This record gives sequence, C-alpha cells and structure tokens, in this order.
Amino acid sequence: MIWQFDLILLTLVVIFALISLRVKDLMGASIVFGAYSFLMCLIWAGMGAVDVAFTEAAVGAGVSTVFMIATIYNTGRMIKPRPQDMSFKLLMMLVVVITGAFLLTAVNDFPEWGDPYSPVNDHVAAYYLTHSMSDTAVPNVVTSVLADYRSFDTMFETAVVFVALIGIYGIIRRRRKQDDSDSDTDALPPYDPSESLIIRQASRMMVPFMQIFALYVVAHGHHSPGGGFQGGVILGASLILYSMSYNLPTLFKKMTEKWIILLSAIGVLIFSGVGVICMMLGSNFLDYSVLSQILPATDSVMARSHAMLIVEIGVAFTVMCAMVGIYTSLASNGRFDKGL
Amino acid sequence: MLQELIASYNYIIVVVIMMIGLWAMLAKQNLIKKCIGMAIFQTGIILFYISMGAKKGSTLPILEHAHDGAHHAVVAAHYANPLTQILMLTAIVVGVATLGVALTLAQKVYQQNRSYHEDKILEKLSK
Amino acid sequence: MSTQAPVLMIIAPLIASIFITLIGWFRPKFSHPIAVISLLISSIASIQVFQMVLSNGPQQYFLGNWPAPFGIEYVIDHLNSLLLVTISVVATLVALYAKRSVEKELPDKLANYYTLFVLLVTGLLGISITGDAFNLYVLLEIAALTSYALIAFAKGRSLMATFNYVMMGSIGACFYLLGVGYLFIKTGTLNMTNLSQILVSLHMSQAVLVGFVLIILGMWVKMAFFPVHGWLSNAYTYAPTASTCLIAPLMTKVSVYVMIRVMTSVFSTEYVFNHLSWHLVVVAMASVAILVGSMMALSQRDLKKCMTYLVVAEIGYMVGGAWLGNPAGMTGATYHIIADAAMTACLFMAVGCIIYKHGHTSLDTMKGIFRKMPLTMLGFVVGMLSMIGVPPTCGFFSKWYLISGAIEAGQWHFMLALLFSSLVNAIIFFRIIEIGFFGSLGSETPDPHEHQDVAVKEAPLSMVLPMLVVAGALIGIGIYTSDIISLVIQPLISATF
Repeated sequence: MIWQFDLILLTLVVIFALISLRVKDLMGASIVFGAYSFLMCLIWAGMGAVDVAFTEAAVGAGVSTVFMIATIYNTGRMIKPRPQDMSFKLLMMLVVVITGAFLLTAVNDFPEWGDPYSPVNDHVAAYYLTHSMSDTAVPNVVTSVLADYRSFDTMFETAVVFVALIGIYGIIRRRRKQDDSDSDTDALPPYDPSESLIIRQASRMMVPFMQIFALYVVAHGHHSPGGGFQGGVILGASLILYSMSYNLPTLFKKMTEKWIILLSAIGVLIFSGVGVICMMLGSNFLDYSVLSQILPATDSVMARSHAMLIVEIGVAFTVMCAMVGIYTSLASNGRFDKGL
Repeated sequence: MLQELIASYNYIIVVVIMMIGLWAMLAKQNLIKKCIGMAIFQTGIILFYISMGAKKGSTLPILEHAHDGAHHAVVAAHYANPLTQILMLTAIVVGVATLGVALTLAQKVYQQNRSYHEDKILEKLSK
Repeated sequence: MSTQAPVLMIIAPLIASIFITLIGWFRPKFSHPIAVISLLISSIASIQVFQMVLSNGPQQYFLGNWPAPFGIEYVIDHLNSLLLVTISVVATLVALYAKRSVEKELPDKLANYYTLFVLLVTGLLGISITGDAFNLYVLLEIAALTSYALIAFAKGRSLMATFNYVMMGSIGACFYLLGVGYLFIKTGTLNMTNLSQILVSLHMSQAVLVGFVLIILGMWVKMAFFPVHGWLSNAYTYAPTASTCLIAPLMTKVSVYVMIRVMTSVFSTEYVFNHLSWHLVVVAMASVAILVGSMMALSQRDLKKCMTYLVVAEIGYMVGGAWLGNPAGMTGATYHIIADAAMTACLFMAVGCIIYKHGHTSLDTMKGIFRKMPLTMLGFVVGMLSMIGVPPTCGFFSKWYLISGAIEAGQWHFMLALLFSSLVNAIIFFRIIEIGFFGSLGSETPDPHEHQDVAVKEAPLSMVLPMLVVAGALIGIGIYTSDIISLVIQPLISATF
C-alpha cells in the first residue's frame, strides 16, 4: 500500500474503463477491458486481498476477456455509427449523475480508510482471524471462511456457475443440421491456426505447466493464496488455451461435451454431498466436524480441514467445466463442431 | 492532508467507476458495450468492499503458524480483512456467470437481427 | 429429522437438479418425475416448518453449526413461514402442470429445463428463508440466472426481452449488494438480526440512509415497480408457458418479501416511517404504478400480455400497502403476497392451457372459448373474480385490508387507485366473457360454422387439474382469511408496530 501507486492506479483504472467504452472496435474494447481488470487486480493485491486479485486475474482479465472475444468472433466486431437520440442519453446522464451524487454524500460518514479498528475490521472479521487456527487448523483465513464458516454461500456460488453453464448450454445449443436455417452465413471462416507454429508449440508447452500449477493451487489453498475457484479457472483456462491454439475438435477429443456437463454436476454433488453426509451423521448441514467419525485418524478440527479440501476439489471440477463449457458454447456458436 | 485525500479518493473513484458502468448499461446502444458496462459496475462494487476491508500496515490474511502445533496469539489488526475478500470472491464468480449469460444472449440476438445495435434490433422486431 | 427440515427444503431441489442433469443426459424422460419428487419433499418440509413456527414461535437453523453472526443462519418466523409453504406448493403444482407443456414446447431440452426449474425454486426458497444479507444476494443471483435462462429457452423474441431483463436484473442485484456494503461498512456484520441490533444506534448516519435507499431501489428494479417496470411485460409474455407460470407468481412476490423484510426486520418501522418522512411519496408512486399497470393492461389485445401488466399493477398494491405506515396496510401487503401468488399462478396456468390448445392468446380469436375449454375457463373466471375482489375469494380480503389501511392513513388517491384497478379488472373480465361467450366484439357477421366446431377440446388433465387446485385454493385462502390473519400475520404486525 504505497499511496503514490494507488493514486496512479486508481486514476488509470477510470481512464481504461472510459476507453473500453469509447473504442469503436469491439475486439479492441474487450482487450482494453482485460487491461482494466488487470489494473484492478493490482490495486486489490496492494490492499492485501491476494485471493481476490488472483481470482480477478484469472477470471476478469483472463476468462471474461476470452468470452467476449469468442462472442465477437462469431458476430461482427465494428460498430457502425448511427444517429443517436441525444435526449435519451442526457436523461440517462442525469439519472447517473444524481445516483452518483447521492452515493457520494455518504463518503464523509465512512470510517477512515485503512483503519484497523473500523466496524468492518473489528467485529466479525476479527473473530475469524483469531479463531481460524484453533477452530479449523487452516492458516489461510480466506480459505477457512470461504469453505467452512460461510461454506453455504460458497456452495451456492458453485451452483451459480453450474446454472450459468446449463442455462447457456440450453439457450445456445443447436442440433446439428436442424437449425442451420438461421445460421450465420457471413460469419468469419473457420479458425485455422495451423500456420502459426510458434503459437502451437508454445501453448503445447504451457498447458501441462498450467495444469500442474492449478492442481497446486487447489491442493495448497489451505496454506497459500488460492483454492478451488482459482485452481478451477486456471484448469479451465489451460483447456481453453489448448483449444484456441489447435481447434475445438481437438479439445473435444480429450474432453467431450458430455463430460463437461456431467463433471460440472458432479462438482456440485461433491460439495452438497459432503453437507448431506454431515446431516446423516447427526449434525447440521455442512458441519464438517462430525466427519471425524468416518475420516480415519482425525479429530473434529482436522476433519474440518480435510473436508475443506474435498469441498474445494468439488468447486474446482464445476468451475473448470463451466469455464470450458461456456467458452465452447460461445466460440462454436452452439454447434460444438467448429469455431474459434 | 494528502493521506486524507487518498482516503476519500479511494471511495470517490469507486463511485465514479460504478457510475461509468451504470451509464454504459443504461445509455449505450451496443449490446456488447452494455455487457462491458455491467462488468465495470461489478468491479466497482468489488473495489468498494476491498477498500473497506483494507488495513494500514497489515499483511495477507494468512496466519503465521509453527509446524509443531504451537499457536501464536493472533493480533487481528496485523492481517487484512478476510471477510470482505470472501464476499468478493463470490461476487466475481457470480459476475462472470452473469456476463456469460449476457454474452450468449447478445450472440443469439445478433444472429437473429444481424446487429448489436439496440434501436436497430427493436425496429426489426416491431416490423 | 424435523430439526433438519429448514435446510432439507432447500437442499432437496438442489440435489435433484444435479441428478436431473446426470440422469437426464441419458434418459431425459426421468427429469420430470425427479423434479416433482424433490418439490414434494420440499413442500412437506416447508409445511412441517410452518407447523413448528405456529406452535413454538420463530425457528433458527445454523448452517455448519457456527453461531449466528459468524456463520450463516436461517431464521423462520411468521412472515416467511407461510411464504415458504406458498412457494413450494405453487412450484409443485406448476411442475405437475409443466409436463405436457414443456414436452410440446421444448422437446429436446427436458433435462436442462427441469434442472433450472428446480434450481429456481431453490433460489426462491433460499431468499425467503435466509437470515444473512449476503447469502440473500447469492440466492438472488441463482434465482435471477435461472429465470433468465428459463425465459430465453423460448428463442425468438424472448431473447431480446431477456437481454433487457438481464441488464435490469443485474442493476437491481448490484444496487442491493452495494446497499448491503453501505450497511456493512458501518456495522461490520451481515447477519440480519445482528444488523438490526447495531443499526438502532446508527439512525442518524448518512451511510445507513444511503444503504437503505439502495437496497429498496434494487428491490424495486427486481420487482418491476413503476418507473422501472418496462422489462417485465416482454420477458414474461415471450417466455415458455411453464416458465411464466413459475416466474410470474413467485419472482416478484419474493422481491416484495425482501423489501418488507428489510423494512421491518433489518430496519424498524420506527426508522422507516418516523425517522424518514417520505413514505407517503412511495404510496403516491404505488398509486401511479397501479394506474399505469391497469391502463396498459386495458389497451392490450393479447391475453397473456394483458396479464403481465396486471402483475405490474399488483406490485403497486403490495408496495403501497407496505409503505402506508399502519398495521392495516402492512397486513394487507403481507396477505396479498400469498393471495397474489395464488391468483397470478391460477391466471397464467389458465392462459397456458389456452396456449396449449389454441396456439396463441390474441383476444380476437377467442370466440367460443368457454364452450371449447369449459374447465380452463372455470379456473380463469375464479382467478379473475379474485383479481376484481369478489368475496369469498382471497382477492377481496387483501383489497379490504389495503383500502382500510389507505383510509386510516388518509391516502385517498391510493384507495381510488385500488378501486380503479378493480374496475379495470372487471372490464377486462367482461370483455373476455363477451368474446368467449357471445362471439367477437362489434357487428361481425356470425360464422355459420360456429356451432359445429364448438366440441369440447380441453387441455390435458395434467394441466387442468393443478390449475383447478390453485383456483380452489383461492377460495380456500379467502375462507380461512381470519385464521391466517390471526395466527400468522397478527404476531408479525404486533412485533413490528
């Protein structure tokens, strides 16, 4: 937290946000948005939120940008200027300015920035910091709160990703040859990167390292930044990279559509299954401590620690499959045969 | 003085970013730009939560621990706030899920109407 | 096992959704039975919880066994216990109803559809039961994402309507999250009970005021309250039949519930009505909402679209009643959540039956519909009578409490708006009777073949029966009004006012 850096970064973030909305080329806008996300995660890392910064680097700067590019690839990328209704824009501008001014009236009422004894930092959060070790034996407090104290949120967060995958799949899926009447005749030619040897070879070398790193992130989330989400996104990104440097059919040879959907469901099943087992052992839903009855050589504290790992693996499964699934849906425009 | 400016500068920037996003969602005509606006709005909120959980002179919320099992007494003020971080991890993931759905819809709408321009699409639909 | 009932009602549909995906990939026809069974479990659990609340007072459930402000807590009191029963029972009936309609409209997406269907119910139940402000946000997003997909499955015009819904829905959810952030920065907690304890000493804080306004605004966007109601009509009209039947009755009601929950449980009536003095402005907005909704409904030539505008008007009822600032208004608003969920479900199910047999719902082509589909129209008539407010249907009693609340508060315009809305509903009703019984409007020459093709062509029994059950419930709720008020709503009102 060097304030000079913060000052520069915060200003730059605003500029990048404005640029990505101004650019007339949608591809350019997506790239600038990726840069915006990356600056954002630098700010967060500076404020001590490494886990969030990690996730944003993988999700915001990485996968989101790829989603946008995949969308644009199948459609048009240039915005044709059209006469605009200025009165509507002015009205919206007024709404936004009033809302913003209203939000700013409360800024003076906030506790001082960075105060370690403000209500946010002192009340519930302080309990987590002082009790995480004795309650759960997990030194990374972010992981222990994520996967234990507030694990119910995390379970539904996993469910949100699952919902998005199933929803997107249902909206965009086309049965081959049947719906081709409304297809995109003027779409770009099928993507063929076979010319670019360098990209292929470089990606091929990157993918295994990414996957090993992702496994480390999932497994070591108790002691270092990371966990199921980050690991899952990186795993997903490695598969996306693989499919971008070759093409979709190559990816589907390794991992078919069926496995994407089924594995993502299994991930949620692992998470909620752990909760149900806790219920069957006579305690409340997701109370991991009772798992010591069935896990060998654990007391109730270590049972929490181990259960968190199981749960994180479930999260990683779902997130990986959802990222790959959403990407393939968008890139192939629902046909799952060819595409970016 | 400068420190104080930084303190509120943080929150002012949060509001500015959120309002840029909101404006794009409401006033932009291009569907993809609306999606970008939505993502910007969400990152603004995340920045807000992370800002309120920051502590001066603190380190990452990973506790020092000895491998022999002895627990040091933990002083909460030495570590950044973990709670805001968890909330925002959730918000990021929710955000990317919503973005995915929005982009999918935009792509399908483009296929039907050959345009990302809202007015043009509405003209076509009302025919 | 009854102590686990609160979580069981949420978990049963969640786990069912996983198995629908897993089994449905290989055998799509198993999706529907799994969905129905899980929703039945949910209904039974919710009724059990309801009985527990009635006999022992509010219940708590700690997820992961962590004590309240540190873990996530479920709180079931009088306000949400009845809502939980309503949601799960209506969802079960809609699931039974959906079978034929989904098979006809979306034959190749059964598994995906029912996965999202049960997850939407999970989301709605979770929003209603949770006692944690952030958990509510996550479930709000689950409910939102599933409903986007369920609407967009219809393809065609629904896609653009859904895109607008996504934008408005995200704005609503973002406002809610931001509002929670403004409260969180002053209090440091997300648990609603704990929040309300700390907020008592923070009534003068500007940040708390902004937080409150943002949460309420977010919920208004979500429930399509007057100035931001534009997205609702198209999204609901172009959705698949079964989606409309599930989303239209429940989604907006749950948003209204969240608004009332925040007003009464997180904040207090003292703060909302005495400290802030603009609640009467909201009532005026509600009057406008009722007028706009009714006028728009009157001008439609399509029955389904007409019904979606009635939903907008009904939102005005509940928001206005909740903000009147007196016990009668609040009673009317909470009672109307239940009554309106049943009424809207009944009407949209009837409309769905017509779509199933008739293909579309343009008013001009409904000649002889009463003779063609007598049972469907019986349900429709009961629903419409309840909308108008004819005793003994439940619509009468909610209107009674709302109007007496309006008189008590001296808000004559709200009372007039309610009466106007009843009048409009009556006009719509008689217009449909006129077309359906006596042929088309105007002096068109009578069709000579008219009497030959009026053979009864009723929708399948699996669709008509659930609708008639809901229609019966409208009268049932009306008859048991005094019990509902004295057992469920009265304890709530006396606790908040």
